[in-house]
Amino acid sequence: MLDTKSTSSKIRNTVIHIIVILLGLACLLPLINIVAISFSGSAAVTANRVGLLPVDFTTSAYRRIVEDSQFWRSFAISVVRVAVTLILNLVLVVPMSYVMTRSKREFGARNIYMNLLIFAMLFNGGMIPTYIVIKELHLLNTIWALILPGAVPIFSVILLMNFFNGVPKALEEAAIVDGANQFQVLIRIMVPCAKPSIATISLFSIVGSWNDFFSGLIYMQKVKDYPIMTYIQSLSIDLQELVNNASSSSALENVAELSNKNLNAAKIVVAVIPLLIIYPFLQRYLISGIVMGSVKG
Amino acid sequence: MKALSKNKKSPAKNAASRKNALCYHAMVLPGMLFLVVFGYLPMLGLIMAFQDFIPAKGITGSEFVGLQHFIYMFSLPDIGRVIRNTLIIALGKIILGMIMSIIFAILLNEIRMKFLKKTVQTIVYLPHFLSWVVLASVVINMFNIDGSVNQIIASLGLGKINFLGSNNWFRKLIIGTDVWKEFGYNSVVYLAAITGIDAGLHEAAAIDGASWWKRVWHITLPGMMPIILLMTAMNLTSVLSAGFDQIYNLYSPVVYEVGDVLDTYVYRIGLVGRQYSFGTAVGLCRSVVAMILLVSANKITQKLTSQSIF
Amino acid sequence: MRKKIGRRAAVLALVLSMTAGITACGNDSGKTEDNGSSESGERGTVTITMGRQTTANPKFPEGDSYEDNAYIRMVEQELNVDIKDEFEAESGDDYNRQVSLALSAGSLPDIMKVATKDELTELYENELIADLSDVYEEYASDYVKSIYDSFDGRALEDVTYDGQMMAIPATSSDAGPGMCWIRSDWADTIGLTVDADGDRCITLDEAKAIAEAFMAADPENTGNMVGMAFDARLTTTTSDTAFMMNSIAYTVGAYPRHWYQDENGELIYGSTTDEMKEALSILKTWYEEGVVDPQLGTRTWDDITALLTNGQCGLLFGSWHTPDWLLNNVYALNDKAVFEPYAIVNEDGKVNCTHYKATGEYVVVSADFEYPEIAIQILNLIYDDMMNSAELLEKYPEVNTYLNTGVDGTARPYNIEVKSNTYLLDEYSQLRAALNGEGTKEEIASAEERSNYDAIKAYQEGNGDVTGWCKLHSRCKGVDLLTYLTDNNLYNWLSPIYPETTTTMETNWSNLQTLEEESFIKIVTGAEDLDTGFENFVESWYEQGGEKILEEIREQIAE
Repeated sequence: MLDTKSTSSKIRNTVIHIIVILLGLACLLPLINIVAISFSGSAAVTANRVGLLPVDFTTSAYRRIVEDSQFWRSFAISVVRVAVTLILNLVLVVPMSYVMTRSKREFGARNIYMNLLIFAMLFNGGMIPTYIVIKELHLLNTIWALILPGAVPIFSVILLMNFFNGVPKALEEAAIVDGANQFQVLIRIMVPCAKPSIATISLFSIVGSWNDFFSGLIYMQKVKDYPIMTYIQSLSIDLQELVNNASSSSALENVAELSNKNLNAAKIVVAVIPLLIIYPFLQRYLISGIVMGSVKG
Repeated sequence: MKALSKNKKSPAKNAASRKNALCYHAMVLPGMLFLVVFGYLPMLGLIMAFQDFIPAKGITGSEFVGLQHFIYMFSLPDIGRVIRNTLIIALGKIILGMIMSIIFAILLNEIRMKFLKKTVQTIVYLPHFLSWVVLASVVINMFNIDGSVNQIIASLGLGKINFLGSNNWFRKLIIGTDVWKEFGYNSVVYLAAITGIDAGLHEAAAIDGASWWKRVWHITLPGMMPIILLMTAMNLTSVLSAGFDQIYNLYSPVVYEVGDVLDTYVYRIGLVGRQYSFGTAVGLCRSVVAMILLVSANKITQKLTSQSIF
Repeated sequence: MRKKIGRRAAVLALVLSMTAGITACGNDSGKTEDNGSSESGERGTVTITMGRQTTANPKFPEGDSYEDNAYIRMVEQELNVDIKDEFEAESGDDYNRQVSLALSAGSLPDIMKVATKDELTELYENELIADLSDVYEEYASDYVKSIYDSFDGRALEDVTYDGQMMAIPATSSDAGPGMCWIRSDWADTIGLTVDADGDRCITLDEAKAIAEAFMAADPENTGNMVGMAFDARLTTTTSDTAFMMNSIAYTVGAYPRHWYQDENGELIYGSTTDEMKEALSILKTWYEEGVVDPQLGTRTWDDITALLTNGQCGLLFGSWHTPDWLLNNVYALNDKAVFEPYAIVNEDGKVNCTHYKATGEYVVVSADFEYPEIAIQILNLIYDDMMNSAELLEKYPEVNTYLNTGVDGTARPYNIEVKSNTYLLDEYSQLRAALNGEGTKEEIASAEERSNYDAIKAYQEGNGDVTGWCKLHSRCKGVDLLTYLTDNNLYNWLSPIYPETTTTMETNWSNLQTLEEESFIKIVTGAEDLDTGFENFVESWYEQGGEKILEEIREQIAE
């Protein structure tokens, strides 16, 4: 390294290491706390005695989850939702982004479509009209209400379009000379070249639809149809109560609810596991994707 | 190919381009169908903003009232409060978030131990991928009156703070936790920019005896400047979205004074409060301003990078 | 170019056809599947859609759900209906959102519950709900009518708009005053005579003397006695709780946390009155003398309970049902413990007490629903027949099982309280009659009191458990005292105003409550001077939104 091995640079290096490690810990410890709570006895949890290690270690919360049919129902709904959304997104977005790379000369209607896309990204009718459309299409309480409104993530179209733009024209032209039509160009040339960014938009889609709680809140009229995050959200303790009781003892009725904190923590942990499983991919592709999306050129 | 493009009017070319155009339409239309149904169709509902919408009568039967809701909106003291909160929270998040990410990227770049660097990166990116539904529980856990943060405060002999219910603290909590969630992930871009800076510059400066601080100040930061400007432009588009998911999961009526932002307000008034027309009017204003911002951001990026976002 | 126009037209056509779909909001509900017999006045199976309020843990038996459970099956069979849930949501924000969404699309469920008067008024003004006056008159059973009549018109008045009855109101019956519960086994041990004149009422001074006597005697040798303990909140809006100073305040004419009009018709918030100051001064003096817990304000609810269970404290203020959920802890650790309740009287020898709000929630029927009488028939079935007819329960044993195993009431098509204003006393008089041989267990109408009878009987015969002890205390002592007060005309009732939540309340109320709690605790514990402290509190209370809220409530009353 170029750095002179002076004491000051050594001190500086140590300080930097410490700060970076502290920042890392700051991100990690709160999450560890939740895991610790999920493995602790409810008395210790209610008394706020749980720090980074479980107190009165027990797996009872997890055993209760295993039997909780609603939890798994919501979990399954989310899994199906994520899978179908992903497929639908790719089927719709990939060809759209490809067409958007055409010049106006190559495809006269390109700009009209592009403007329609942009406008739809900027504007929306708001919650109530969208709700009415979903209701009139008889999609309420079906998984399609969670999937179809997000079928075309416009941001992904733009991201992928930018990537397709980077694919050398020569490859495409060669294929056309070989007699390929546009579909074939897309499938044989573009898609293989764009694998990393298709992975990127896939992961956007997965994370987005797994984490979304709001559409479940609006389009599902019964708890049994809630996707996982809406379900988790519905468990959260009554904040109003918590805030108001801050200065006084907790009301009698709340005791039972509070003692469920370890169970709720366990539910949160289980609900996050799918994301942790794909996390290595998330890191690899999303990060290269975001860099590519914003720092290109 | 060259021959073809020169000879624009050749019938063969025309046929090919018609065939291509058909192909292209076929590729775009399925997606467009969804956009029309779930994006454009609900936009007809924006008419509500100019009506006194009565659900039983529907959009076709409700009476038009012109700009009444918009005039009413600007006469409401609530709106001033909500806009102020939105701007403070959003700008706070943008500014602090950027500073934090830039500093973190610079520091992380100094770490030479591969293992440590990778581990820290893996950890700090994680919160970004978690839903606010999940993180709200984490935040409530830590910052409620009996939470770990207050236990630490109490052990220092200070008075406990009701972070979630205090008009002094709530906005700080919202900004702080958002910065916490996003700084790692956002630093990726800056880290990439730093690695793009010519290492020779640093070497030359070091040989000239420039201190680390001087080099960061005179080489690293200027080198990152295009990216910083670009990110600022992009971030400006979000000054009206202070983070619905986060605030919705953390606020309560006690902190409406400081924590109520445009999105939560529209949700509460327009949906739960059943003032459908008024809620739509506020939402419409918000969309218009957001669109202006995005278009300007696009213009700025075009100037900066000679490339547009879309 | 022409092609483009054609495409645009196609898109437009698509959009328009979709819009037509939106505006044509058909209401399919209330359609009969088979109305061949409708001419003869008999209706076929009617499908009704409902908005259902749920709870997190309804305790259904395996396989049952909100849409399909014992109550629903009974109603479906008895009334020949098919109940479908339009939405199910927990009360509060979730339920309100569902109501708003349904409303936005112009389609209310046929029958649903709304939580506030605001919503009821709004639905009425939008002409979305049906006038129930006629069907109530025609279909409601005499028993159901007698229940609403027991509130002297206060219940039905609340849901009447321009002479039309727009909802079925839930009732909310009075719970009587907070009582002073005393360890009578201690009094016996130390030879203390409580209530020498035997009128079951004591004055504040007598209560204090008892606490002092207990402290001096320390009957269980704990070495660390506390005269009486209070929760840090000190006051409450209901008497359905314990450890509050409400009963003390009431005796001097202070009604903390209540809104009411004085004799001049002026709206008053009870916590800001001179009487309240007097009540605080009493508690403050007691605190200084050491009768009130020196750790007042920092002792949590559980800590106070521990004082009782450890035998460090033998006197508390609480409602008639305190033995059921609080004093049971004392008995669990010490089966010799016996409590006796006394009413605290004012200087005229009367018990000051506040009426509850007569109605709680409201069940409304959509204006489009063809058979509004079904709402009333459900009311009869669930809140009259099911409660009063043993036959019905024999026919539907699973409903009986529900009642006995504590399946949550939200399982019913709609879950509201429909009980007469005096149900507590009425049910108790049957229980008492059965216990002292004047009646029989079979004559007890309510299923709950019948099981209480068994528990108390078993306890009296020496083989009871904690339930028997609890029910004996809450019924034969607690409700018995309420009966005594009513029979001897010892009440001095106040009818407070129960306002709807105003806009300022929504944002400022919890801060005002905190202000009140903190100020009162500081005054009592001497952290603040009585005069200046109370003055400051009243001033800040008005400044921080109280003034505005009073104004808003005055407007409500004027309407």
